[in-house]
Amino acid sequence: MIESRPADAGWLEVHSENYFGAGGQPHAFLEALRADYPLSLHGVGLGLGSPDALDVEHLRRLQHVIERYQPGLVSEHLCWSAAAGRHLNDLLPLPYTEEALDHVCDRIQRTQEFLRRQILIENISSYLRFRHATIPEWAFVAEIARRTGCGILLDVNNIYVSAVNHGFDPRAYLAAMPSHAVQEIHLAGYDDGGECLIDTHGTAVSNRYGRCIAKRCPVSARARH
Amino acid sequence: MQSLPELQRALAAALMAPDATPPDSIIGAGGMDAGAALAVYRNNVFANYRKALRDDFPAILALVGQGFFQSACDAYAREHASQSGDLNGFGAAFMEFLEIWPPARSLAYLPDVARLEWAIHLAFNAAEAAPLQLESLAAVPPGLVPQLRWHLHPSAVLIESRYPVYAIWRISTLAPEGNEQVDLDAGSDRLLVVRRGASVEIEPLALAEWTALTALAAGGTLADVHADASAIDSAFALGSFLQRHVAAQSIVAFQVPHDPNYAGRLI
Repeated sequence: MIESRPADAGWLEVHSENYFGAGGQPHAFLEALRADYPLSLHGVGLGLGSPDALDVEHLRRLQHVIERYQPGLVSEHLCWSAAAGRHLNDLLPLPYTEEALDHVCDRIQRTQEFLRRQILIENISSYLRFRHATIPEWAFVAEIARRTGCGILLDVNNIYVSAVNHGFDPRAYLAAMPSHAVQEIHLAGYDDGGECLIDTHGTAVSNRYGRCIAKRCPVSARARH
Repeated sequence: MQSLPELQRALAAALMAPDATPPDSIIGAGGMDAGAALAVYRNNVFANYRKALRDDFPAILALVGQGFFQSACDAYAREHASQSGDLNGFGAAFMEFLEIWPPARSLAYLPDVARLEWAIHLAFNAAEAAPLQLESLAAVPPGLVPQLRWHLHPSAVLIESRYPVYAIWRISTLAPEGNEQVDLDAGSDRLLVVRRGASVEIEPLALAEWTALTALAAGGTLADVHADASAIDSAFALGSFLQRHVAAQSIVAFQVPHDPNYAGRLI
């Protein structure tokens, strides 16, 4: 990309944590690319739904990357990833309960206050859900956006994978998303694992859900790193 | 009814334990039972830990093979809980772990190879520094020159081992399929790991030069550096040592006396 600088890439998305180091090649490349492309910073490690205290050191490092690169968008995942002092470094699903809603809204609000900007939350795909959940996932996401003013990074692949895995209609999910809050969309492919669909983000977009979302959301060109 | 934090702590514990009973509240996707659903996540969690260590310790992987390396990773991950959502620091204690993990006991050189690889990993991401112009020394009053303290490049790490870890590392990462052997009794290594431009370099050092850089990294003055290195080699040439390492950007700054901001770094 450094050499070709494709003109049809309108902007770039990178993983925030890859730029938490002080210097070296990652920053050299990103600085070179940033001169030509707007940036979306996409984090995987903050754990907005985690029970332990918010990781202030993580937030500081993220803030440093934001100050250095002035991204147009900053996003994280709607998930939890650490408990009892151990990071699991994965995107774990929350039970969609009032308790979880209150907890994650508080964490998102404090994150936005710390960073002095809006963040987007991305819906994850999941391979389990919880018996005691009282709120459909799409209502959970919409309510978070309403309460906190955060934006939504809508991962359509994840909606489709979760819809098949948990037996809900993906169109209900899409219909429930507040359009003004959706500021970025992820489109990617999945693998059919037999018992369930596995979100690998590794294959081309399938026709079936491509048609599903084309009706709902305009798509703009983007490259992902 | 479990609270959210109680549920999350129970799930986290179950993810680390292969035979754990899943919490009651889990419903697996697509008809999977709760145990199978938990296993999907457990596989992901350990796959992420293993990938982080594979990326940072390719020589160790080449030396011990996939199966042994995976067992080491999994045991390490259980004992040294990941402390951050950023996995870049996850391997920091892998060297200490290899020193005491019973299956690795007979591979006495392994922890030092891991130390070298960790230094390379840190150097890759370390901060930048502008080169030092040695001519700026001319502005320092001659009487103060012996008291000057020096800064190594932020990426610089000094590694010492009783094993020939540089040769072991080189063969493991550059020619793992070949037949080149390493004589473990070939003598110790003293190495400078430093990033120059975009690449991390490993420079073997003679004992006097090692002593000089060690003294410098520990906050020694130019006089200390000269004294320590000359004790090893009476022919040690301080001037050309300085010139060479400033030109090579291993040394990037000097500091006049009484400046409180000096900090050295040594492994």
